[in-house]
Amino acid sequence: MLRRTVLGGLAASTAIVRSAAAQDADWQKLVDAARKEGKVVIYTASIGSPFHKVVFKAFEAKYGIKIELLEARASEVRERVRVEQSAGRFLGDLHHNGSTTTWLMTQDGNFQPHGPLPNLKNIEPPYEASEMSIPAEVISYCLMVNKNMVKPGDEPKAWKDILDPKWAGKILSDDYRALGGGAVFFMVMYDSFGKEFHEKLAAQKPVFSRDIANSERRVARGEFPLYIPFSLQDFNNLKGLPVKPIVPAEGRPYVRFDLSMLKNAPHPNATRLFMNFYLEPEQQLVFGNAGYNPVVKGVVEKTSEEIRPHLATKAMGTTTPSKQDAMLALAKEIYK
Amino acid sequence: MSVAVDLTTTPVRPAGGFFGRHGRAFGLTLLIAILGFLSLYPMAMLFYGSLHSTPPGMAGVFNLDGYATLASGENLSALVNTVAISLIKTILSVALAVLLAWIVARTDTPGRGVLEILITLPFFIPPILTATAWAMLGNAQVGTINLVWKAITGLETPLVDVFSYGGVIWHMMQYSTPFIFLLVVDAFRAMDPSLEEASRMSGASRWQTFWRVTFALMLPVTTSAFILSFIRGMESFESAVFFGTPVGINVITTQIYNSITQKGTPDYQSSTALGFAAMALMFLLLVLQSRLLGGRSFTTVTGKGYAPNVTRLGRLRWVTFAVCAAFFALTVVLPVGQLLLSSFFQFFGFYQLDMLTLQHYRDVWENDEFWHAFGNTMLLGVLGATATMALGAIVAYVTTRTTWRGRRLIDILAWLPWMMPGMVLGIGFLWGFATLPHSIPIYGTLWALLLAYVALGTPVAVRVTSGAYAQIAKDIEECSRVHGAGWWQTLGRILIALAWPAFAVGWVLIFFGIMRELSASILLYVPATEVMSVVMLKMWVGGKPEEVSVLGLIMLVLVLVFRWVQLRFIAKRISTL
Repeated sequence: MLRRTVLGGLAASTAIVRSAAAQDADWQKLVDAARKEGKVVIYTASIGSPFHKVVFKAFEAKYGIKIELLEARASEVRERVRVEQSAGRFLGDLHHNGSTTTWLMTQDGNFQPHGPLPNLKNIEPPYEASEMSIPAEVISYCLMVNKNMVKPGDEPKAWKDILDPKWAGKILSDDYRALGGGAVFFMVMYDSFGKEFHEKLAAQKPVFSRDIANSERRVARGEFPLYIPFSLQDFNNLKGLPVKPIVPAEGRPYVRFDLSMLKNAPHPNATRLFMNFYLEPEQQLVFGNAGYNPVVKGVVEKTSEEIRPHLATKAMGTTTPSKQDAMLALAKEIYK
Repeated sequence: MSVAVDLTTTPVRPAGGFFGRHGRAFGLTLLIAILGFLSLYPMAMLFYGSLHSTPPGMAGVFNLDGYATLASGENLSALVNTVAISLIKTILSVALAVLLAWIVARTDTPGRGVLEILITLPFFIPPILTATAWAMLGNAQVGTINLVWKAITGLETPLVDVFSYGGVIWHMMQYSTPFIFLLVVDAFRAMDPSLEEASRMSGASRWQTFWRVTFALMLPVTTSAFILSFIRGMESFESAVFFGTPVGINVITTQIYNSITQKGTPDYQSSTALGFAAMALMFLLLVLQSRLLGGRSFTTVTGKGYAPNVTRLGRLRWVTFAVCAAFFALTVVLPVGQLLLSSFFQFFGFYQLDMLTLQHYRDVWENDEFWHAFGNTMLLGVLGATATMALGAIVAYVTTRTTWRGRRLIDILAWLPWMMPGMVLGIGFLWGFATLPHSIPIYGTLWALLLAYVALGTPVAVRVTSGAYAQIAKDIEECSRVHGAGWWQTLGRILIALAWPAFAVGWVLIFFGIMRELSASILLYVPATEVMSVVMLKMWVGGKPEEVSVLGLIMLVLVLVFRWVQLRFIAKRISTL
């Protein structure tokens, strides 16, 4: 009995080892093919991010495969892909965009399956990969206050604190009626606290601006004491200014960025290699230290002490792409 | 006194040379084909988009839903806002620009040579930078102007609030005033002063002479500038989105922007329909201009020799100097001073000694992406501005100096790109170039950008050159022909030679227009063809306004060099006239 078990175990182990060896060999073939292809063309909606470039350079250094980047706003990237593909021009390999746009483009048939990737096992719930896309990194939203204008005792501790009449006319905000951080905030607050929350917030007369980077500076300069929703990764750009991010007690709304292989990508092997590389803990740590929530296990714990307390907070919720248009219409109705 | 001296109304009928009977037909067909490809083709794609439920290449149905949205209260209110804001800012800008041009070109105001360069500077600064600077100077809460005002008066009410209609108009004026100034100043300079002298000798006052002779003779150039500026105002985006949107002021372009970028699924049908509605409005304006100016002659440069002179203002010249200096201080010193200062501090607007740094200059210097984009932009700028002015010179000649059949069609084709808001036209170029047969290597190359820039710049080139041609008497041209010169020789050695100061201005306007153009660039660039405006967008969105300031300053230095060289040549040229 024992002998049979041992033999059975040995056979199983051998099969696993052989299978693993076969997988390694297959992956090595992919790496070789990727090197021959020589480049990956990425269409991204993440404009001007220095942290992404760190990861791109690390990939170039490790594999000698060049990354070419086309950066534009989410809707512009989507239209470029759509019109190029409908004209039979397949110039891009990889698409990097917010989960709503990725979902819409999946419906339009702009992607192809990425196939098995060894590092898919690293992904941490609630994030998950699908046949067409993998999670890349997560933008988390919180509050930002001007430290010179808001004493520690007066800081909002919960999202509902911003409904206090003392904040009336003092909130600068990304627009909830437009796709972006404001829309994410709107949907998550609606799902968590209902329409009443927004009706009360509308009565606070928040001032809207879509120029996010400039809005953050306006708060730092003292035009407004409070900004919502503040993207945590922007904190790096503001170090040295009198501002402070606050993750309220209920948690942080978030939006996931995804990577998807474009249909008929001219460099499919290099693209798969890059997607796998993106999910390595070392690369995710770059994003973690920058203020993005990483999507793989065991990375938050390794982030810098300065950012970790903000990242290690409750994920409150995110957008549901199929509800997006209805939510934008509702936001328009409430915030006139 | 009558408005103009009608020297000749006989149409030019060139004969022989390159443009013989068949040559002319071929040339006109070629010109129509080029303009059709540059303007009609992207417009046709957009028109399809406005009538189809989905953009080109997607299954959908034809309907009028896009045009039906025009009647919504939101869009109608945006339309009224757009026209009102643009009209007010254009009237104010034309008045100011004409005054400044007269001061610089026709009076003995001290330092007018230097002032001429300085007062045109605001036009060349990226709007997003001056908007940021003005938001810091004029916000109601902690704006520098209001802080000073409150400290002096002890009042709590702010003096200015740039987040208002006034703020939107003021910010737009900083671009339209120097733009109009650049278009009219050379016409003032090139005007035959004997007409003004005749007016003065007939007993007219200085003001009557200015208004009834100088200004009246400048009508074609001024109305052209008015129309160009009014249309540009209707298409303006940055001022409205920066100072208007936060307080609920919407215009056509912000509505279009919302339709394209702010919805879950971009609504190209509504945005293109809005673009065509704006275009129809602008077309009406052009018809009006044509009716206003039709049949009148504005010739001021004739075959007779003349010596340009200036009006001696006496002590009043210090008042005119003060007007120019105040304009310069408000539109250049305040915002550019802030840009310059901010470029040496860690953060824009935070002036603490411990934040002094040269890091932003180092970062730009070491930015490979910037240098690559800079090289592409210079190449596209030089080629684009030269090609556009060459095309503009030919189009203007055909439309203003001949009676050839087809000239009206050419005029309309050349105008089309100016009448469609840039962000919509950018989509037209994307759709048009991407769907060309793959054997025509335009999409994904520098050609795509170059052709878009030529199309976008042609209306300016045509207006600038036709304004200048309108001042040149036809007798000079006929004289050239009588002496055996061909069509090309006459165009080059008579018309362009006499109108070249205007050419130089047009070239500079188009060159810097190319440097700033973003709407089409962002949709047509590929990794190898990145241009400066795209790099600036990346820096801005990436939270690096200080580096954008450095780029803005580099552009200003370039402007100063270009303008200095240009004005030196103009001075030499005028002295030989």
